[in-house]
Amino acid sequence: MFRPIKVFFLSALSLLIGMKVTIKNLFSPPVTLDYPNKKQPMKKNFRGMVDLKPPACVICYQCIKICPTAALFLSHKTVEQDAKKKNEITKFTFNAELCCFCGLCEEVCPTDAIYLNQMYEVSVFSHDDLLSIDLMDPKKYKHLDDRTVNQPEPNPQ
Amino acid sequence: MEQVEQNKSPELRSEELVVNMGPQHPSTHGVLYLELRLDGEIVVDCRPHLGYLHRSIEKIAENRTYIQFVPFTDRLDYLASMNNNLGYVLAVEKLLGLPVNERVQYIRTIIVELNRVGSHLVSIGTFAQDLGAYATPLFYCFRDREKIVELFDELCGSRLTYNYMRIGGVQNDLPPGVDKIIKDFIQYERKKLDEYNELLTYNAIFLSRTKKVGILSKETAINYGVTGPCLRATGFKWDLRKEEPYLIYDRFKFDIPVGTMGDSWDRYKVRLEEIQESLKIIEQAIGAVPEGNPVAKVNKVYKPAAGEVYLRTENPRGELGFYIVSDGTTKPYRNKIRSPSFSNLSVLPELIRGLNVSDAVCVLGSIDIVMGEIDR
Ligand code: SF4
Ligand code: SF4
Repeated sequence: MFRPIKVFFLSALSLLIGMKVTIKNLFSPPVTLDYPNKKQPMKKNFRGMVDLKPPACVICYQCIKICPTAALFLSHKTVEQDAKKKNEITKFTFNAELCCFCGLCEEVCPTDAIYLNQMYEVSVFSHDDLLSIDLMDPKKYKHLDDRTVNQPEPNPQ
Repeated sequence: MEQVEQNKSPELRSEELVVNMGPQHPSTHGVLYLELRLDGEIVVDCRPHLGYLHRSIEKIAENRTYIQFVPFTDRLDYLASMNNNLGYVLAVEKLLGLPVNERVQYIRTIIVELNRVGSHLVSIGTFAQDLGAYATPLFYCFRDREKIVELFDELCGSRLTYNYMRIGGVQNDLPPGVDKIIKDFIQYERKKLDEYNELLTYNAIFLSRTKKVGILSKETAINYGVTGPCLRATGFKWDLRKEEPYLIYDRFKFDIPVGTMGDSWDRYKVRLEEIQESLKIIEQAIGAVPEGNPVAKVNKVYKPAAGEVYLRTENPRGELGFYIVSDGTTKPYRNKIRSPSFSNLSVLPELIRGLNVSDAVCVLGSIDIVMGEIDR
């Protein structure tokens, strides 16, 4: 008879103490962001989609060798130009389905040709759009740009 | 639900029911499937079924060079990726006999302790959520963890799968001004821990849900190979950071919190106190970081001599061990991972036999498993 009453009052007291904490937090400024309407800029070395500056690439195959998931594909051919032999990229594709965004390719590249950009909203309607992204095409991420690059005002935080 | 064991005796007896909890249950912390045998409200037996998150990471290791495997260790215990990275690179460094400089040691210590704080915060928050403290404590914990995650984001460019440790160093140097950020965080977190005490630890409802629920004895814990906070909650003082100091843990002053009874509340309390101790370590380390170059070059092929190595480290959830066998090539012959959550989960049936269903959820939350490292 006596114990339940004691437990009841103790629980009620605990609730009040807990409420004190929640009420204190209720009047503190919000820590979340109104996400799709407001966006935060990504950190400087954020690892987003893999991107390439084609002129800088020296076709050394380092990024292909290091990639743990074999997400990158590169092939080249030798062409003769002004009696000089020159290597030219024939195909350089990136499979975003396989990539684990580890950033190793960026780290091993001797000329910083391959890098991970700031894009983070990368969902598309079809798997096929991710399987073989042509890194030589400057317009490859055009459809994602509108979402991530032309974002509304950065959050003042 | 399916009916088992037809009641053959003439006496009035309730029948056992099999209830399938999971694999898509909000309180199983991932895709864990528990087969519960119930007699009314009481759990008679429990069998965990694994394999829903199996990615054969150990086999993958055999087909990757040493440096390529680091991103995969992120996906073991995804709440403590830094600690997994560390365990693996320490094992490989031991295999190679590769020395690392002082600055690397300090940076690694600070980072893994921060990750330990973050991981324990998640475990406390989800434990409260499992008990029915809907969302509030969980989001407070995530708010605090966010500060750590933001720091890691700036450090290595990722928020969950860091891939930060490198064989012989780390990926990036600490960003400028990090001292102040971390010191501020320590002050902030200490205040917040008092808040958690008010909100949860000594709350009468919380106590009545967790005290004397799922008592784990010292002997059972050792027999099952339980490690980490679950083992320390039984009163057994075992922490690899003290027993077999790796990195530079022997230079810092910190205590090992232990429990008294080994019940769910003790496991929770040990985690809460471990946050305090980790903050102490970070505070001592952050002022003493020496100069040097911590960044390790990546495009190097390591070819360890034939041999084997086993190295264990203290993860937030227990002892994480890497057993690597090298056959003298660039890829390991075998990489066996001893994951703490696997042993901790195997003791679950012992703990929840005879408890109510609602308490089973409490015990599962208190042993704090991560499915990523159980299935591997
Ligand atoms: S980020 Fe990692 S997984 Fe992705 S392409 Fe580069 S090396 Fe491969
Ligand atoms: S590592 Fe850099 S330079 Fe070498 S092939 Fe890859 S992108 Fe080109």
